[in-house]
Amino acid sequence: MSITPDKLRYCESHEWAYVADPSTGIATVGISAFAVEELTDLVFMALPKVGQKLTAGSEFGEVESVKAVSPMYSPVSGTVVEVHSALVDKLESLGVDPYNEGWIIKVQMSDPTELDKLLDWDAYQKQCNH
Amino acid sequence: MQSLACETNLSESATGLVVLDPPRSGAINMAIDESLLANAQPNWPVILRIYQWEEPTLSLGHFQKIEDRDNLESLRTLPWVRRKTGGGAIVHDHELTYSILFPNRTGISNAGRSEPTKGHSEALYRAIHLQFAAALKSLGWDAKLSESCTCKVGPNADKEPFLCFSRRSPVDLVVGDAKILGSAQRRSATGLLQHGSFMLRRSAAATHLAGLLDVPADPELGDHGFDGNFDWQTFFIATLKDGVDKLLQVQWRDGKLCELPGALDEKAVVPRA
Repeated sequence: MSITPDKLRYCESHEWAYVADPSTGIATVGISAFAVEELTDLVFMALPKVGQKLTAGSEFGEVESVKAVSPMYSPVSGTVVEVHSALVDKLESLGVDPYNEGWIIKVQMSDPTELDKLLDWDAYQKQCNH
Repeated sequence: MQSLACETNLSESATGLVVLDPPRSGAINMAIDESLLANAQPNWPVILRIYQWEEPTLSLGHFQKIEDRDNLESLRTLPWVRRKTGGGAIVHDHELTYSILFPNRTGISNAGRSEPTKGHSEALYRAIHLQFAAALKSLGWDAKLSESCTCKVGPNADKEPFLCFSRRSPVDLVVGDAKILGSAQRRSATGLLQHGSFMLRRSAAATHLAGLLDVPADPELGDHGFDGNFDWQTFFIATLKDGVDKLLQVQWRDGKLCELPGALDEKAVVPRA
């Protein structure tokens, strides 16, 4: 089943988190369509390694576009359990489907209640339209 | 390295600080910019840092591979350093270099909107480069934005020319076929850092790339204020300030980095590669 943006939780810095099955405590993380549009043409992406510990708000990777390097911030705390390494060679898929083909990492959350502090779709849209 | 400590603190009235830094190694120069960005506070002024290099140095864009340098034999002997900003490699030889830091606060780099945390600020590239175009025209050079692109994306991204001045993006500044001003940026939660390089003369390490003074001025243009003793550093600083002022009214004054409490973590300012 495909993920739709209204089902996600968002950081103000435009990363999203999605928990398909709460019993696993695993959040899939990516960047929003708005962020991809702001970034324009993507050139390079650096990703973390499996096993890397993250805290909510910490940098987990970097992306370069139009000679500008931008960080990506983790929406949740936990441990990286899966990395979408193939994405680095097909960054264009982020522009086509940032919420499914464009997922970036999966994180085993250490504190799932952090999700409640993230923006829901309505609040995130309001931020983007500000 | 000279001490970064000093006794004065930043005046509240200054909204822009121009720092003329002495020659340093590439590793220290990049570490200072990295520390400034990491420690930037919302109440800091805009910081325009003009810096010099102890010796000709190659700086790589953040994602470039040093192995790719080896396609150009003349680059192999240069010391090198990696920038935190993107783009292509630069030979810092007969050129002038700046970094400008906009601390994150509403409106400072984004025309009054909330600060974005992703992507570039084309407004900043454009404002500074257009200011240089106008200033150079008054000296007799027909400088303009390139309006062309060698951009490669996706799997072809690493097929762009290795050197920044062999690349073209639409807002790069060119005189004839020569690119003379290029810039690159880095975003963070704390601010926006832009690096820029103004090439005056070709380097022995990259003889295929002409600088401004390798291109004859056009006597039909401008007021011909240029002569052989022209103070390019003064021109450089004034034009950068004027370019920023097109985006944001800044009260500039000369200063030192040590005036920014907590700006430079001395432990963090160590050589980087």
